[in-house]
Amino acid sequence: MPGPNDPDFSDVESGSSSTAPPAAGVQTYTVVKGDSLSKIAKHFYGNAGQWKKIYEANKDVIKNPDLIYPGQTFRIPDA
Amino acid sequence: MVVYRRSLRTLVLGLAVVAAPACKKKVETAAAPPDTTTAMAPAPVPFAVQGVEVGKQIGVDKRVTAASTTFGPKDTIYASVATDGAAPSKTIAAKWTFGAGKLVKTDSQTIAPTGPAATEFHITKPSGWPVGKYKVEISVDGNAAGSKEFEVKK
Repeated sequence: MPGPNDPDFSDVESGSSSTAPPAAGVQTYTVVKGDSLSKIAKHFYGNAGQWKKIYEANKDVIKNPDLIYPGQTFRIPDA
Repeated sequence: MVVYRRSLRTLVLGLAVVAAPACKKKVETAAAPPDTTTAMAPAPVPFAVQGVEVGKQIGVDKRVTAASTTFGPKDTIYASVATDGAAPSKTIAAKWTFGAGKLVKTDSQTIAPTGPAATEFHITKPSGWPVGKYKVEISVDGNAAGSKEFEVKK
C-alpha cells in the first residue's frame, strides 16, 4: 500500500499522436470502448491468438493485458 | 583620291579590329551557362527538436494552445514536442516522473517526419494527481531532447 510519500500511479492513462506520418512498418491503434487485445489482433492480423504480439510491443503502456482503456494508443507491429 | 580611299579602308579595318573584341565579349556572355543556384532544391533540414511545451489543451495541430506549468488534480496534462526536418524513422519518447524521479508513465511515437511536425503525449489520472512537482523528459531515439517541469496544486 503506497504511503503519502509514495503515491500510486498505476491508474495513470496515457496516449500520444503526431502530425507526422507513422514510420513505415509501424501502425498505431487507439482503443475504443469494447476493445480487447484479442479483438484488435483479429482486426489487424485476422487471428485473435496474435494478441500477445501487440501486448509485447506495448508493455510500457499495458500493465495487464486483460485491462486496456479507451483512448490508449498501441503500436501494432507488422504481421 | 587614292589616298582618301586608302585612309577610309584603314579606318574601316581599324573599326573592325576595335569592334571585334566587343562582339566576342557579347557572344561569350550570351553563351555563359545559366545561373542554376537559385533553381536548386534547398538542402534537406536535419531532424531536430524545436521545443517542448506543456499545457491543459492542444489544438488540431497537436500544439499546446495555452502553455501552463500549474495543473489541478483532475487535469489532463499534455506535452507537445515541436520538431523540424525529415527522417525515415524517429522514435520520440516521453517519460513522466514525480518528485525525486518516481516513474509515472512512459509513452512513445515512431514517426517518419517530412518537415515541421508536432507530436503530443498526454496523461490522465482518474483518481486525481497527487500534489507536487512533476517532470516530462523527451528523448529521440534514446537521446535526451528536452524536458519540462510542472506542478500539480489543489
